Amino acid sequence: MSKMIQPRLTQLFRFVRCSYADGVAELVYAFDDGEELVEQIRFPNPPALQAEYAAAFDAALKLLHLIAGVSYYKAGIPPKIEVATGPLDDATAELLDQLYLHGLAEFAYRNGLDLRGRIAFPRGGTTHPVGALNLPKRTLVPIGGGKDSLVAVEAIKSIGGEATAVWVGNSALIAACAERTGLPTLNIQRELAPRLFELNRLGAWNGHIPVTAVNSAILAVAAILYGYDSIAFANERSASAATLEYEGQQVNHQWSKGYAFEQLLGDWLHTHVASDLDYCSLLRPYSELAITRAFAKLTPYFDVFSSCNRNFRILGPKPADRWCGQCPKCHFVFLALAPFLPKPRLLSIFGRNLLDDEAQAGGFDALLEYQDHKPFECVGEGAEARAAMCALSQRPEWQEDALVARFRSEILPQLDTTQLALEPWLEASAEQRVPLRLRPALATIG
Amino acid sequence: MKFGGTSVATLPRWQNIRELVASRRAEGARVLVVVSALTGITDALKQLCAQGEKSKRNEAAKAIAKRHYELLDHMQLAMPETLGTRLTELVNLADDGSAKLGELAWQAQVQAHGELMSSALGAAFLSHTELPTQWLDARDCLAAIALPNQNERTRLLSSMVDSRPDPVLAARLATLGEVFITQGFIARESHAEKGTSGRTVLLGRGGSDTSASYFGALLKAQRVEIWTDVAGMFTANPRQVPGARLLQRLDYEEAQEIASTGAKVLHPRCLSPLRESRVPLLIKDTNRPELDGTVIGPEVRAHAPSVKAISARKGITLVSMESVGMWQQVGFLADVFAHFKQHGLSVDLIGSAETNVTVSLDPTENLLDSDAIAALATDLAKVCRVKVIAPCAAITLVGRGMRSLLHTLSGVLAEFGQLRVHMISQSSNNLNLTFVVDEEVVDALLPHLHDLLIAAGALRTDDSALFGPSWQTLYGSGETSGTATAWWRESQRTRLLELAAEATPRYVYHLPTVRQQARELKSLTVVDRLHYAVKANTHPEILRMLVAEGFAFECVSPGELRAVSEIVPEATPLLFTPNFAPREDYVFALGTHATVTLDSLYPIEHWGELFRGREIVLRVDLGRGLGHHEKVRTGGSGSKFGLPLDQLANFLQLAETHNVTIRGLHAHLGSGVLDASHWGEVYAQLASLAERIGSVAFLNIGGGLGVPSHPGEARLDIAELDRVLREVKAAYPQYQLWMEPGRYLVADAGVLLTRVTQQKGKAQLRYLGVDTGMNSLIRPALYDAWHEIVNLTRLDEPATALYQVVGPICESGDVLGTDRRLPEALEGDVMLIAQAGAYGKVMSSPYNLRDEADEIVIE
Repeated sequence: MSKMIQPRLTQLFRFVRCSYADGVAELVYAFDDGEELVEQIRFPNPPALQAEYAAAFDAALKLLHLIAGVSYYKAGIPPKIEVATGPLDDATAELLDQLYLHGLAEFAYRNGLDLRGRIAFPRGGTTHPVGALNLPKRTLVPIGGGKDSLVAVEAIKSIGGEATAVWVGNSALIAACAERTGLPTLNIQRELAPRLFELNRLGAWNGHIPVTAVNSAILAVAAILYGYDSIAFANERSASAATLEYEGQQVNHQWSKGYAFEQLLGDWLHTHVASDLDYCSLLRPYSELAITRAFAKLTPYFDVFSSCNRNFRILGPKPADRWCGQCPKCHFVFLALAPFLPKPRLLSIFGRNLLDDEAQAGGFDALLEYQDHKPFECVGEGAEARAAMCALSQRPEWQEDALVARFRSEILPQLDTTQLALEPWLEASAEQRVPLRLRPALATIG
Repeated sequence: MKFGGTSVATLPRWQNIRELVASRRAEGARVLVVVSALTGITDALKQLCAQGEKSKRNEAAKAIAKRHYELLDHMQLAMPETLGTRLTELVNLADDGSAKLGELAWQAQVQAHGELMSSALGAAFLSHTELPTQWLDARDCLAAIALPNQNERTRLLSSMVDSRPDPVLAARLATLGEVFITQGFIARESHAEKGTSGRTVLLGRGGSDTSASYFGALLKAQRVEIWTDVAGMFTANPRQVPGARLLQRLDYEEAQEIASTGAKVLHPRCLSPLRESRVPLLIKDTNRPELDGTVIGPEVRAHAPSVKAISARKGITLVSMESVGMWQQVGFLADVFAHFKQHGLSVDLIGSAETNVTVSLDPTENLLDSDAIAALATDLAKVCRVKVIAPCAAITLVGRGMRSLLHTLSGVLAEFGQLRVHMISQSSNNLNLTFVVDEEVVDALLPHLHDLLIAAGALRTDDSALFGPSWQTLYGSGETSGTATAWWRESQRTRLLELAAEATPRYVYHLPTVRQQARELKSLTVVDRLHYAVKANTHPEILRMLVAEGFAFECVSPGELRAVSEIVPEATPLLFTPNFAPREDYVFALGTHATVTLDSLYPIEHWGELFRGREIVLRVDLGRGLGHHEKVRTGGSGSKFGLPLDQLANFLQLAETHNVTIRGLHAHLGSGVLDASHWGEVYAQLASLAERIGSVAFLNIGGGLGVPSHPGEARLDIAELDRVLREVKAAYPQYQLWMEPGRYLVADAGVLLTRVTQQKGKAQLRYLGVDTGMNSLIRPALYDAWHEIVNLTRLDEPATALYQVVGPICESGDVLGTDRRLPEALEGDVMLIAQAGAYGKVMSSPYNLRDEADEIVIE
């Protein structure tokens, strides 16, 4: 019944339609005249949608349709994009052009593609400015299982803010972390179109997509549906830094966690959904090191959190069931926490000492940007890692560990010692879009 | 007889106590019962002590009283005067606070009420049920002694008692009655100031067991019985090693060592009072009094030296101090240790060399959550190089005469050889051997070491006087494993003797056993495709049987592919999974319909065009991330199998270049795995890798399903395996699941029959010669594999001889079994070597040009 298509040879990507009923949003896409790809997003216990929110909801849903399309578009990256409902207004088209170009930059680099000039959403439509909806003064806080969102949660809790811990998809790790926060929880399910797996088997392009953008759009829909006036992510300062430059293009693994996207989406929501729906990152002014320092005080989370990108779906009780110990995330979190925790405590979290393992030298070198570029992961800046390592190299309980000793003898002499202090990293920068209501929480982190 | 908090908390448990006491009375013994406070009462009393406000203390006292009223109510007893007095006292103590007595003395007095009340209640209950019982105040019997190293706190809250026999007390009790009940945990100061009675003191942690021991020693009791919730001490912590065996007899020192290094059932300090007086201690399970329990007494009768237990303590931090030539300076070590004292860190193990001293620290709050270790390191760094190594675990082997066992430990030591061992310590009392290793390896290592100790004959579980049943057998869920009688033992024995009369050596395969195993695996409905790994046994009848059972086949060479193709129908799926195969092997395999597995970069790098347009399976080496499983042999950089993960990106790129589609991912851990969770781990890790490779449709998690070889060893739990796999499948429903078991299907189905040729005595050793050896069955020599060996001719005769069973090959390694208890054998007896269906005949060789064993298949 289905026509076999060669994803890489497709010519047109179509945004077919989107709909919502009874807590389920359906997002439909297609390549050329091929079969429809239907993604479902399920919102649990959906309240009846209030009439005065309807327009805002539709706008948010449409944006979700457009943003979530990136997962499918990338299977074929055909030269033309078509939106069934007609051309987009310029601001929307611009947001999407930027997101698809920068959000897929790593994907393009890995696959040896150049997407510049290829991505053009249809423009020329019009839009009307929107007003305030008087949304309830409470916040959706996405939980990722890692330390950052937990720091954000605790910051909001500390100012008595009302918040809900929210996450998309099945993850025992995130569920465990969310439960530990003591906040009400909201678990939204996202089911990719099953046909996408088929396309993959047929040789679709594959690679990294800007998943934070997709989750942000899902949460915008959820904010209108359930009634929240703010979405507070936990993206830090270094998320804005490029991983590498490739043929003149900046490639940032975590572009959709960066400030540029935060501004684009935040402004778009104010003008297209509701002027009182705020989208921000609570950790934006802070470096990874400042955040790990804040996290080091949150002992109750030590035995549930994990930032490991092996993304264990099935959890066991041992540290090795949450930390693979080999990926850049494990390396970075270990290194960044080390200056702020008693050594035996840190080692009990990871179940092993990554800095005393020669086999991990390459991984840590990459973090330090020594003989390698920064890894494609959501990790801190190289200078940050160097500052943390330098701090450890001055500490007697660390300095004999294999990789710290190696840093002292081999790497440190090549570095400019004036650039290695830890303290400057612990200061907040000015860049942030946190709404007034949540500003006091911001101050509790630094 | 001592009963703990849960044993005295409810009416049914008291009825149980009554029966046990009555049964001892019936044996003619006079009984002294020592009880703890009701569960939770001691904690409640401690909390009462911590309350600053009088009203809160009074409230707490009321709540505590209420617990006792409720139990009395259940017992349908009126308030006995003894208990009433205690309750009033408690109210007064709560009311007064600590001012009058002094803080610590008041605390001791308050906390003592838990036991005073429970024993009063018990006395009333037992007497009421027609077992006249005298209430005895332990403080009138146990006299605390002042020791020079005690401070006020330890004197009052963690006291020691004079445990010399007290004939006066014994005589006094003799006049009073036959059954007594008294309190654990409490005693009284002996040297009171004039005109006052000594203050009430507590015995600290494990106090009730210790009280029972003191009473046992004072009264020179027949024995002390500790009634608890488990039958005794085990060879390992049953939570870590379900196959741990009950220790039926221990001497005091061994028991103390085991208690100190891990076992929670007994507090180590309760053994020393008994050692002097040589009163035995018996541990019994309150719920299962029929079980033998553990007897701890003076040195047990002569027996072969054996490791008694293996234990692990986690969370250990090592501090290694390196310095040249400093150690011999007078006072240097004293200065170093002064720093540990200053920072509140207590040292446990110590290991030293000329230039290094390494010490271990237990995981205290001070260590984990304060700057103590940083401050210590800073101080130490001024005089030596410091290295803080963590997290570590101490694995201790305990057994009397440990040094005489060293030669049996080679396999165990070899296992440690693969790990980072930070410290080894052996005490001069020759009771223990401790290895400090990285903590992450311990969970997988411990059960494995336990097995190795048994296999090596270091843990002599064959001595039924010392070792009881396994914890699994006693407390495990489901049917007891390993009890099914082997096919050769009964139903086919006569047939086998006939076959052996015709010719030996001879392999015999029992097809119904293969079928049974195959069907058992087919019950794993979560698995989409099962392959038989034909290298285990390529006998045509076995292949036909497995075709009939719907199996696919896994081959590792063109030879196997050809052999299988001759027998199985054309449509049967085949899998080709070679290792370091030459180019022409792939050429051959690509010409068949077999699915080809690559397990290194080389073929796709150098012969990439061979695979153009093909779908292949990639075998990866999940390496260390998987946890150090025992048979790391097919995973980890020490093994030649699989593509290391750091080369995965490179492989994918080459696949892309040559238009090769990776349809499946494969990993195989190793062999003989009996723990279901391992496949779950492999599966989940493969799935998370597969998600990065769009083209993958199935995951092959290999085989290696273990077959237990020792009697009583638990079988692999297939239902549990199914559950584990389902859990992963639910998380990754998009992938098909494949497996490739080999040995599991055929091992038990095969036996090797051989005949006794001659015997030889050498010193204490007796060698029993049989007519084949490593030429027919190389597994014992190659893997130290343990195969059960029986004398089939004399199956029913008592096993009185201890044999080394050896073959005729001119190799000192030609040993089929060591230290086997067998009936006295005669020339011509038929010996049967069990579990020879897998890797038996297929690994045999013509070495020494001895006749090869033939193969017979029976239904």
